[in-house]
Amino acid sequence: MSPALQVNAISKRYGATTALQDVSFQLERGQVCGLLGENGAGKSTLVKCISGVIRPDTGEILLNGEPYRPRSIVEGNRRGVSTAFQELSLVPTLSVVVNLFLPHPERNGLGLVPTRKLEQRAVEILEEHGVRDIKPSVLVGDLPLGMRQRIEIVRALQRRPSVLLLDEPTAALSDREWLFGLIDKAVAEGTSILYISHKLDEIRRLCSRCVILRNGRKVMDSDVESMSNDEIFTNMAGRSVVETFVSRAPAIRVGGAPRLEVRNLKGPGVEDVSFKLAPGECLGVAGLEGHGQSSLFKALIGLSPVEAGTISVDGVDVAIRSPREALKHGVALVPEERKSEGIFSDLTTMANISMPVIDSITRFGLVNRNAERRAVSVVTPSVNLSERFLGYGIGTLSGGNQQKAILARALISGAKCLLLFDPTRGVDVGAKQNIYAMMAAFVRNGGSVLFCSTELDELVHLCDRCLVMYRNAIAGDLRREELSQDRLLSIASGFKPRPDAGLAAVSQKDAR
Amino acid sequence: MMAQASPWYRRLGGGALPAILLLILMLGIYAAYEPSALTSFGISNLLNNAIVLALAATGLTIVVLTGEFDLSGAGVVAICNVMAATLSMGAPGSMGTLGLVLLAGLLVGAINAYLIAMLGLQSLAVTIGSLIVCQGIALIILPAPGGEVADAIISGVTGDLLGIPIAGIMFVALALAWTFLKNTRWGLAVYAVGADPVASRLSGLNVPTTKFIAFVLAGLCYGGAGFVYSAEIGSGDPRISDSFLLYMFAAVAIGGTSLVGGRGGVLGSLIGVGILTVMQKMLFAIGVAEFYTNIFNGLIMIAAIFFGQLSSLVARIALRRPA
Repeated sequence: MSPALQVNAISKRYGATTALQDVSFQLERGQVCGLLGENGAGKSTLVKCISGVIRPDTGEILLNGEPYRPRSIVEGNRRGVSTAFQELSLVPTLSVVVNLFLPHPERNGLGLVPTRKLEQRAVEILEEHGVRDIKPSVLVGDLPLGMRQRIEIVRALQRRPSVLLLDEPTAALSDREWLFGLIDKAVAEGTSILYISHKLDEIRRLCSRCVILRNGRKVMDSDVESMSNDEIFTNMAGRSVVETFVSRAPAIRVGGAPRLEVRNLKGPGVEDVSFKLAPGECLGVAGLEGHGQSSLFKALIGLSPVEAGTISVDGVDVAIRSPREALKHGVALVPEERKSEGIFSDLTTMANISMPVIDSITRFGLVNRNAERRAVSVVTPSVNLSERFLGYGIGTLSGGNQQKAILARALISGAKCLLLFDPTRGVDVGAKQNIYAMMAAFVRNGGSVLFCSTELDELVHLCDRCLVMYRNAIAGDLRREELSQDRLLSIASGFKPRPDAGLAAVSQKDAR
Repeated sequence: MMAQASPWYRRLGGGALPAILLLILMLGIYAAYEPSALTSFGISNLLNNAIVLALAATGLTIVVLTGEFDLSGAGVVAICNVMAATLSMGAPGSMGTLGLVLLAGLLVGAINAYLIAMLGLQSLAVTIGSLIVCQGIALIILPAPGGEVADAIISGVTGDLLGIPIAGIMFVALALAWTFLKNTRWGLAVYAVGADPVASRLSGLNVPTTKFIAFVLAGLCYGGAGFVYSAEIGSGDPRISDSFLLYMFAAVAIGGTSLVGGRGGVLGSLIGVGILTVMQKMLFAIGVAEFYTNIFNGLIMIAAIFFGQLSSLVARIALRRPA
């Protein structure tokens, strides 16, 4: 019997980025296959190719042994392929009912869509899928994200697909067991499922096989049973879980005023935070998600108001009310959300980097291209960004190269203090090493780095000192010798050191 | 927690509620100063004054709901006006003229639709172009004001049917037609495409076709507006519709239709047209000198949009309260 879905050597390029290259795999009938990979590994592109949103540049897809080249989602649906998208494909201004039956809701004799009658059907469908707390007449835009995600999943399931694609279906879901139950039921009825997730425990619970993508290529295709968590991580990240970090000598310059000093800072999401950051120091900020790290960075850069306390730079008290003012004092932020807060995706990489110094490279109000190139070429080597990317729109670059460009922008501004918020998230391994090297060089030359990361091993290996945040306040301040993932994690979780309890949580965190 | 159904005022076409209140208020002021306002003659007069803008604003609303712009309306009205003034006394006759005028509107709409929906060009730029082309064609057909519109058209459009003004019937017909259309698959798609084109596409809706139909219907509406306009002024003038464009957009905005698409509807725009028409009458009745009326027009427009936003703000705050 031919497999439910067979993907043969498909490739897809966007500008300078190869999103998928020569990816092949099979999905057997009635199987749940996990699809894993870091952000930007090409998972979503693969889903879009199979569901019919985009067409691969090369390669072919077979559905139940027959050629399958969908030109639209509707055609995919007709052939029995149904998708619950990660970004949710529900229209916020329409009701749950209408959304459930898009794109072709039933019509009555007059050609009207009988909403009342459909509501009845919608209630039945929702109940059949174990959803009882959503009223079908509500507008989708009025529902919290978790409920929308459930509707997205029910919509994909109620078409009774032969192949179901679930793209990170638990991202906003509070009750995962609900989904697992539905998946078990669908599989029992013969549906084949491609399950995309970051979360290892889910993969282990649901999938018999898993495919791992990295940088657009398939790097592993194997039984889940036979693989250890370590193996899976290693394949996803392309490095061993415990990365070999290049150790560096401390570059802290003692004496003189601290580069950045915060005393009793209070603001939205920040409770009484005090710390000092010396020139040449790399100070880490650890903490579980949502414990005030993001609020602290926002307060420091002037994005949220400071309600009490003081910030001083090089011994002088300053009022920072906007990122622009922060930059004047030599403090630059590399933000958390690269896509929405970091890049100007329609501009070239060059323009993205030169933005802070644009005033100094103009002549008679016009940008002097040569001066711009000179200014940019001073900083690009320090992040190891290849010159050939400069002319491309930054939106077409890979996540790693985008991040390098953003770091180059922070450097070109001449900042003495960098606030880096998770700079290595969704970045490939090579770029990670470049970013580490850049940070090391920056502190060696007397710069200061405040470095927040969700990857604890980075903090352990890169920082001279590390603050741990818990409930919007600083719960710990560890020196380099004291740093270990377990200690960070136990303080971040709000209890006394207990190494065994820590480890499980570490792997969960990494998986995310 | 059970998610709550949409509040009734949201179902009433988005931000239209403040517009209705404003219309009633202004009608009241107008009637207080002008006793003949609420007689059948006064109402018929009001409807005849409003129907041209109503037709044009209806067309524009449909396009705006899909998240696009259409400036070509004033140009189509101009072409149709000079066509009616030059053709209706000749061979085509009244009905023939109506057919030709609607065809012209349809044609312009279809050209816009092809360029925007199928080729993906920016609607603002494309329709500025077609506006200017249409105005140019109108000038070629009738270089100076003149011509004559057949009496049959004039009496047919501005007259009564069984004692009800034709303009009033057209108003009701527009409202009913839209109420019908918005509940069809296409109507739902219009709102979806305007609100979130990406989600619409991922949901399997045909975004280009939805927009295509919207532009064509809009062209048809503009053609109708041009025809009725000709009947009211009885002659042709290639330039007289120039000021139309801003009033069309004003009516749509006052009626609570979001200019970025996805929210609002034709009913709101019809109320917006009512507000703009009554406002002129009211200011005249109060005795505001004509050169001040524009200032009031503009201010009331801004106030109306402000209240429109206010109601959605209130709705958002109400939603955030725990149920």
